[in-house]
Order: sequence, then C-alpha cells, then structure tokens
Amino acid sequence: MLYDSKKERHQPLVLSVQHFCLQDGPGVRSVIFFKGCPLRCVWCHNPESWSMYPELAFKKHLCINCGYCMDICPEKAIKSPGHWDRERCRLCFTCVQNCPSGALEGLGLEQSVESILESLRPEYTYYKNSGGGVTFSGGEPTLFSGFAAELADRLRSEGVHLAAETCGLFNLDGIVPRDNSKILAKSRDSAREVWNFLSKLDLILFDIKIFDDVKHRQFCGTGNSRIKYNLETLAVLGHNHTGPPVWPRLPLIPDITNTTENLVEWGRFLRKINLPYLTLVPYHRLGESKREWIQIKKGLNIRDLNNGDLETAKAILKSEGITCYSPGEEEWTRLSEMG
Amino acid sequence: MPSVANSKDSVHRIGNDAEFSAPTSFYEPTERIENIKAELLASPYSICLERPVLLDKFWHSRDYSPHDHYLVKRAKALAYVFSHRKPRIYNHELIIGNMTSKRIAANYYPEGGSINILEDIFRLEKRAVPLHLSPREKLHLFYLGIRNLKRSVGWEAFLKHPGRISYLINNTFLAQRYFVTEVAGISHQAGNYWNIVHHGLRRADEIARTCLETKKLIDGTPLNDDQIAFYNAIRITIDGICKMAANLADEAERLAALPETSPERSKELQELAGICRHVPYNPARTFWEGLQSCWLMHIIMNLEDYEQGLSWGRLDQILYPLYLRDIEEGRLNPEKAVELIASFQLKCCETMPLFSKRIDQFFSGNTVGQGITLGGTDVEGHDVTNELSALFLDAYAQILTREPNIHVRIHEHTPDWLLEKAVEVLQMGNGSPALFGDKAIVRALENAGMTREHARDYAVIGCVELGSQGRTYNSSDAALFNLPLCLELALNRGRKFSSGFLPGKRLGPVTPPVSAMKTFDDVVKAYREQVASVVDEAVKVIGWLENAYRKIRTSPVNSIMTEGCLEKGYDITSGSARYDFTSLQIVGLADVADSLYAIKKLVYEDKRLTLEEFTQILKNNYKGHEVLRTEIISRFPHYGNGNPEVDYMMQVAVDAFTDAVTAHRNTRGGQYLVGVYSMTCNVPFGKATGAMPNGRLAGQVLSNGLSSSNGADRTGPTAALRSAAFVDNLNFGNCLALNIKFDKKVVANRAGKKAVAALFRSYLVDQGGMQVQVNMIDSDLLRKAKENPAAYPGLLVRVAGYCAYFKDLPPDVQDEIIARTEYGG
Repeated sequence: MLYDSKKERHQPLVLSVQHFCLQDGPGVRSVIFFKGCPLRCVWCHNPESWSMYPELAFKKHLCINCGYCMDICPEKAIKSPGHWDRERCRLCFTCVQNCPSGALEGLGLEQSVESILESLRPEYTYYKNSGGGVTFSGGEPTLFSGFAAELADRLRSEGVHLAAETCGLFNLDGIVPRDNSKILAKSRDSAREVWNFLSKLDLILFDIKIFDDVKHRQFCGTGNSRIKYNLETLAVLGHNHTGPPVWPRLPLIPDITNTTENLVEWGRFLRKINLPYLTLVPYHRLGESKREWIQIKKGLNIRDLNNGDLETAKAILKSEGITCYSPGEEEWTRLSEMG
Repeated sequence: MPSVANSKDSVHRIGNDAEFSAPTSFYEPTERIENIKAELLASPYSICLERPVLLDKFWHSRDYSPHDHYLVKRAKALAYVFSHRKPRIYNHELIIGNMTSKRIAANYYPEGGSINILEDIFRLEKRAVPLHLSPREKLHLFYLGIRNLKRSVGWEAFLKHPGRISYLINNTFLAQRYFVTEVAGISHQAGNYWNIVHHGLRRADEIARTCLETKKLIDGTPLNDDQIAFYNAIRITIDGICKMAANLADEAERLAALPETSPERSKELQELAGICRHVPYNPARTFWEGLQSCWLMHIIMNLEDYEQGLSWGRLDQILYPLYLRDIEEGRLNPEKAVELIASFQLKCCETMPLFSKRIDQFFSGNTVGQGITLGGTDVEGHDVTNELSALFLDAYAQILTREPNIHVRIHEHTPDWLLEKAVEVLQMGNGSPALFGDKAIVRALENAGMTREHARDYAVIGCVELGSQGRTYNSSDAALFNLPLCLELALNRGRKFSSGFLPGKRLGPVTPPVSAMKTFDDVVKAYREQVASVVDEAVKVIGWLENAYRKIRTSPVNSIMTEGCLEKGYDITSGSARYDFTSLQIVGLADVADSLYAIKKLVYEDKRLTLEEFTQILKNNYKGHEVLRTEIISRFPHYGNGNPEVDYMMQVAVDAFTDAVTAHRNTRGGQYLVGVYSMTCNVPFGKATGAMPNGRLAGQVLSNGLSSSNGADRTGPTAALRSAAFVDNLNFGNCLALNIKFDKKVVANRAGKKAVAALFRSYLVDQGGMQVQVNMIDSDLLRKAKENPAAYPGLLVRVAGYCAYFKDLPPDVQDEIIARTEYGG
C-alpha cells in the first residue's frame, strides 16, 4: 500500500514524543514521531510509522497470557492473545486499555498542538543548556505540514530551535520557478503548505538513500527524481538564505546503499549542489522486532555491517570531497558554510 | 594570644583573580604513577594489627594510669600509637606516610566496631573479597579483640547494661528496621585543612599552651578541671603527631642513605625528610608540603576514630595559594603538580574498611569515602573554580581507582569547562566524580541552622554528606532506616507480614487494623506513626553511643580540626563544634512512594479491592494475583517519570521521616538531619521486607537513595531528573544520592559530553537539584564481568555515594547495578 496523495488529509497521528535524543540535530532534543510515510524502505527500523492510520501492536515478550483481551473485546475479534481478526477489529483499543502487561499497544494518538507543547515545555531547560531543541520526524512530517507548521509557529515563538528529519519525498512545485513547467493549482497549494512548514525550521536533516532511480523504486517503493530535485532546491534556498540550512544523511545499508557506486554517485551529487558534508547512519536490526509487533512481513534479510564498512564508506566519500560524520558527532558549525 | 580560626581567614576569596586558559586536555600519567598504581592493584587486602597491638601494649603498660582524666587517658593512648608505629615508605611515591603496617589493609579499632570481623576470622580467605592474614595473626587478633572487649564502645553503650543487649542484637546483628552505623565510630569529617596547611598544628598547640599557662579560655573565662585536661590532651596529641612525622623523616633519611637507592630517589627522600620535619606542625611553604601535611593529618584522623568518611574537602581552594606561589617562583609546573596530586590520591587506596560478611551486605564495595571537593563558590557566592580544580580531575583521570571520592560543586557560574571536564572523567566509565548542586545544598544547610556564608563553604563528607568545612561535627552516617518495612508494619498493626498461621514478628507499635483505615489519610497516618517510632528508638540508641564516646573515645584530633572546640575548651564529642549534627538516612523511598500511590489508586479511588484484600495479597506475596502485580508494575505510574501525581507521594513518604527526624536533638545539643542515601542497605533491608503494594515481591532489592525503584523510570533521564528535583530537598541537610546510568555508547563522544553536561546543568542549577552520580558503562560489560570477575579487576562502578571495584561486590549488589535503568539504548 503506497501513500495516496489524493486521499483527504487526516488529523495527524503521533507515535510518540521522545526526549533526550542526541542524534537528531544539535544538542539535547525532543523528537516528535508522526505516523505515516510515503516510502517503504525494506530496511526501515520504524515500520510502525508507515501507515497514517492507528494500528494495534502486540509485544509478545511482555504478554503474560492472562486472556483479558479476549474477554473484553467488544467485537470478539481476539482469538487468543496476540491473534486477532483484522476484519473484525475496529481499533477501539479497549483491549489496550485493559491489558495489564502492556503487551498490547495502540499506535498513533491524535494529539493537539497544545498537548504536545505541554509535554515539551518541561524539556526547554535542557534545550537551553545544550543548544538543542525539537525535531519533527516520523514517518514523514511534511505529510502533516499544516499541523506541523502550527506547532512550529508556537515553538518558535517560545524560542525553541527547530529541525525536521525528512525522507525528501514531498511537493515543492512552484516554490522555485522552473522553466517549462506546468503546475496545477492544487499541486501549487500543497507545495506552499509544505514550504510554509519547512521555511519555519532552523535545520533540515535530509535523508538520501539510493541514487539509482530503478533501485530506489525496488527497495524504497518509489522513484527518487523528486527527492533529488527537492534536495537540490532546498540546497539552493539554503545557500541563498531564503530557506533553512540542509544537512544530508545517508543510512548505510549493507549491499544496498553501501555500494561503491551508490556512494560515489551521491558524493558527486552532493558536491555539485555544494553540500560537502554527510552523516552516515549505520544499519541496525531494531526494525525486525517491530515488524513482529505490528505483524507485517519480515523485510529483506540484511546482513550486519562488517567492521570497516563504515571506514571504507567514509574513505570513498572523502575522495569525492565529502566529509562524513557519525550521528551525534556532526560539526553543526559547518552549516554556516552554506551561502 | 593568637586567634583560633576566624572564619574570614579560613574562607579566603581566591581564584577569581587568576585568569587561565581552560584546560581541555588531560596529562598522561608518568611512569612513577603507573608503577605505584600497578603495585597497589597487585597488593592483597589484609588487616593491620599494629594499632590494636600498640593500644593493648599501652593499656597494659606503666604509661597508662587509670587515675588520669579520661581526656588525657585517651590522648596518651593515641599519642602512644602515633609515636610508636613503624614508618614505611614505598617505592616511587612522592607523598609518604603509611596508613597501616601493610600496603593495603584495614585498621582495627578495638574501641569501635572492628570486633565484627571476628565473626569471619577463620574464613577470611573464603570471603568474596579475601583478606590475607596468617594463622598466627588471626589468633592474635582474636585474643586482642576479646581481651579489650571492655574498652569498646559496644561494651560501654550496650553490654554493660543488661537491658540494652537486645537492642545491640536486634539493630545491628538482625537489622531489619534500621542499622546503627555509629556503633563503629563517628569520624565522617571534612576538617579544617586550611588551618593545617596555612598555620600548622603550631597554632592549636600555642592556644593550648597559652590557655594552660594563663589558666583561662581565649575569652578570659577561667578554666575548669575538664578544660585543663582538654588542653593537656591537645598538647599530648600534637606531640604524638610530631613524633610520627619525625619517625617518618628518619626513615626517609635512612632509605636515602642506602647504597641501593638511586641518586634521584635519594634526593627525593631527603627532600621528603625535610618536609616531614616541617609539617604538619608548621605552616606549609610549598604545594608539595601542603599535600604532605594534609596526608599526614589524614593518617592521624584515621588512627583516631575510624576510617569512614574522612575527607579533605576543598583542596583546590586550600592549596591554591601555595600552588600559585610555586608556579610564580618557578618551583612547580602543572604537569609536576598533577604527578604530586596523583601520588597523593593513590595513597587513598591503602586503606579499606573492616566489615564482616554480614555487615558487608549493608556497605559493600570496600569504600571508606575519602572525599575531595572541587569548585564551588566563596562565602560571597562568587565562583572560585581554579586551575587546581582541573588538575585534581586530571590526576584522578590518571589513576581511576576506587578512592578517593571526587566531588564537583556546580552552581550558576560554574564554567562550562569544569562541568564538561567532570563529564569527560565520567565518560572514562568509573562513576566518579559525583556532582553537587550548590543552590539546593546552601538552602538546605541554611535551613539546618548555618549562616549563609558558612553554608557556601560546604564540603562533601565521604560519599554525599555535608558539612561547612572545618566547622562541623556531623555524625553524618549515624544510622540507616528501612522505610518500606515501616509501611509493612503500618498495614499489619506493627507486625511483619506472615502468610502462615503464626503472626509475624512484632517490630513496631500497634497501629489501627487495615479494616479501620477508611481513607488514604489513615494509611499515611499509620505509616507516619511507624516511622516516628523507629526513629525514636534509633535516637535513643544513638544517645547511648554518644555518651559512651564522650567517656571512652574522645576525639582530640578532631577537636583540633574543627572550629569551636579550642575556643570552648571542650572535646568535640561534648558538642563544642561550631555546628553539630547527627544524620539519619533513608532506604527504599521510591518503593514507599509507588506503594502509597498504588494503595490510593486501587483501594480508595478505583475501589477495585479493599485494603484488607490487598494486604492479604501482599502477605501471600502476590501468589494467585500475578496479573494484578503485572498491571501495577507495567501500567501504574511510578516515581521517576516526571509524573507529578506519583512524585508527590515521594514527598508524603519522605515528610514522615523528615518530621520524625528533625524533631530530635542529639545529646550534644545538635540538630538531627535527614540524608537520602542507602549505601547498599537496600539489598539486606530488602531481604527483610515483605511484598509491597508497588508490585515488589518479598525479599527483592529496595530502591536506593532518591533513585526510582529499579526499572521503573522508563521515560528517560530528563524525566528522571525532573522527578528528583520535584521532591523538596530543603530538609535534606545531609544530602541525597541519585543514580543515573547511561549507555556508554550513546554518551561516549564529544556531543554526548556536551549533552550530559547540559542535562546536569539544568538539573543542578535551573531545577535546584541537589546531587547526581553517574554510571556510564554498558550492561553487557558488567554481565561479562559478573561471569568472569578475574578478567576485569579494575572495573569501577558507582554503588551508592561511592565507587567500588565491581569484583568486590556481592552478587546481589552486582545484579542491582546491572538492573538500574540505562538511558539511551
């Protein structure tokens, strides 16, 4: 199931707000995870963030087999702990509210701007002393640009540094005039909404993955020409100070993104658009247990990174003139090189 | 007549005038430091017989006169020990003076609690931390212990009085509700090392001499017999100290003259001999002399009372004038200073406590808590962090041993570099230094009765305890209390839970039955009554001990080291210190808070069961109610997650204790204070405590200090710190211990350092937090170390207010440390 942009917009669901995050921008940060993503990367470690709709998750290791969920389900959809009839389940989460162990979990809460602010405000002191702030993440935060912009406005007015982590797949049509382009009014409107959100940020962490369009389609579910266009556009806007600075990040997935060819091509691209720095995010297997929780098929069998893979990748990119960083070790002062 | 220790003198404003570039890198340890450390790590632990043998000799010699005044008797005994012990100087060291007759050993205090080791005397090698003693030594020790039993505080306070013996048995041997540490001694002092370094013992000696000559106190009041004896005792003691220093100087000269001594070492030894002929009687002239003077007085303090909590306090302030002058006059450079400090700090590893296996459960880890306090403010509140603050951290980073205990004071104007450097040392994974919030501590000490100026000049004693340096006599580790057991007693009319037919053992007063507790307030009331009762009892027992100390175990050295005693002409054990306190500690606070919340929610708000039913479930240890237990553990809010509703229960739980404790004064006239730390008592106390309403099963470990119960803080460190800061620390005049554990991988790098520093600045400065101590070790490593301790001999962890080698801890304490919530996974 791919993201359908024609579908009407929903009240965004929030998976969680996590505090003391050190790898999502400068300083100590809180990260807001929105639910919903247009990509389906096979290695994704947050598969619960794909769907824009609420989901029921089951954490088998916590279950004590008490059977309360079976008794209490109004639709009698639960056959045994951990097994339920998806057709019958209305996602009323009665079982979640009554699960004594916390094995059943409802993913995706409707949250108001005010309630999110309330959970963030006690953290301001940590932002202040560390130069940190709030990072919009997901899922894909630009899917909820209207809501995100409203939240961003409030946070900005309270002096909070803002960043977003994006997969890069969004609509920027018409934000920068392009020759020979015919843009539909509707498309222009949605682009304006996205830009309205992004332009309020202090930093955009832009995820890039596979350079080759065909392979990107194969492993991430969509082509990547729009992603590349958006990165280039944001880089230009950042350089001439009409948009926030951009910092690219690349997940290092063995045999998929971590090929010499892919790294070299991205290196050249980044140098061309004058973003000579990049965070390499090493692959980890956390997503596999999460796939079990929401009972979706196991992804590809991906091997662990070998010792030295990271160093090799760094060396390849360095030869292309790109300095690589580990998450949390970025030299954010380099952002001032933009422009 | 010289003034004694006017406060202006001892709290100079220094440091502000000297601008220096923030030290960012660490100095490499010299070969000398590596060698001393290697020798220490390779040395076995033992017990030193020298002190008890000398005391025994003295007590049965002609020097001992039963007709002497008790103050003089004590001073003569101590001076005999000081002047007759054999000096030992080890290879390479730049600070000399042996703590015991062996490289690493515990001193034995026949007058104190050391007799406990006799329980283990014939299985010393089989302990988790073996003590090496020859069979002959064992027999000798046994003989000495029995022969001098009547000279011990235990005899004087308990055994002499048939009615009190049961207290001794119940409250130290079968400790359940509380554990009276004061049986072993009082010690716990950050003495007036400013006076020692800058004026020497000479000043005290001159005051004593003048008072004796004029037969008047400094203020002109005529002396009574006790005061004459006091000043005589002071002079006898100082004489003994000087003899010890002279013996050490002789030994240095003897070694220097040996043909096998290298010319360089010979020169060092001669220099050291000169130093020891000068200090501690005279003021130190150089930084080296200052350190050596502090070390010698530290040995003396150890030989007087007992080994626990003897601290130097603010050495970066005390030694700074000497350091500056040495640098200016070209005698010293920072690198050499670090080497001297490292050699000084390594001396701290020579001592250890003497706990039998039974007592070791309560205080695991062989800590003695020799505290050094760095940074902070002067009496006016200006920052006095200086270059020496950095060099002490540098030196500690070179050695990373279980002692000394480094404490860093943090306040609004603490420079970033100091906090970041402290975090950088923490990143080395050894659990030291601990961080202290000046704002909260000064407020609490003022509340305890200090002037603001004196509160600002506080130093950390031992692990986390507090005193205004050189002005305070705080029996800071007098006793520890099992609060969860008080709740259990409140739910069972003063008896322990029992699931069988026989009722549980009666430990507390009869409070109303649970069937009569109609509101939540009734529960709190019964709990408060149980807490008040146990505190009353402990205060009574401590009073007996205080009287015993006043009679047979006075402290002339401590009286020299503390403002007030020389002015008043009374020994410190009679309450002559400028500030006098006794402090009582809490164990299991978070368990009580979470339990109170669970009772309130289940019984009184949701009315899902009655208190009788709930209590019955607890008596059966949740048997048949595992689902309820799971629900409480995983679905109920717990303290440590920034949830004000349950955090408030911490306040309820702790206020019961605070109100009970601060209502008392000790027999010296000093105020009782509250401390929120647990050593490792949470393990043995846990074994003595039944199931609790927060889902904890009978026998499981309790929460420690101000930390949440193990695994209950799931929202991350920012919320945990907020919860800790939520609890009002105004009444915690003896401080608190808050454990935070980070996944080392997450906070390893530069960004991690900045983030953790920011986190603690927020907690200690913005939120008014009092203390935090940190472990940055990954649990995988700890698990491996538990399986194969031999492979990780130097692995240090933060236990309570102190660090210990992981291998030295009993398995259940190891498990507790592994289980503490780790942030950032």
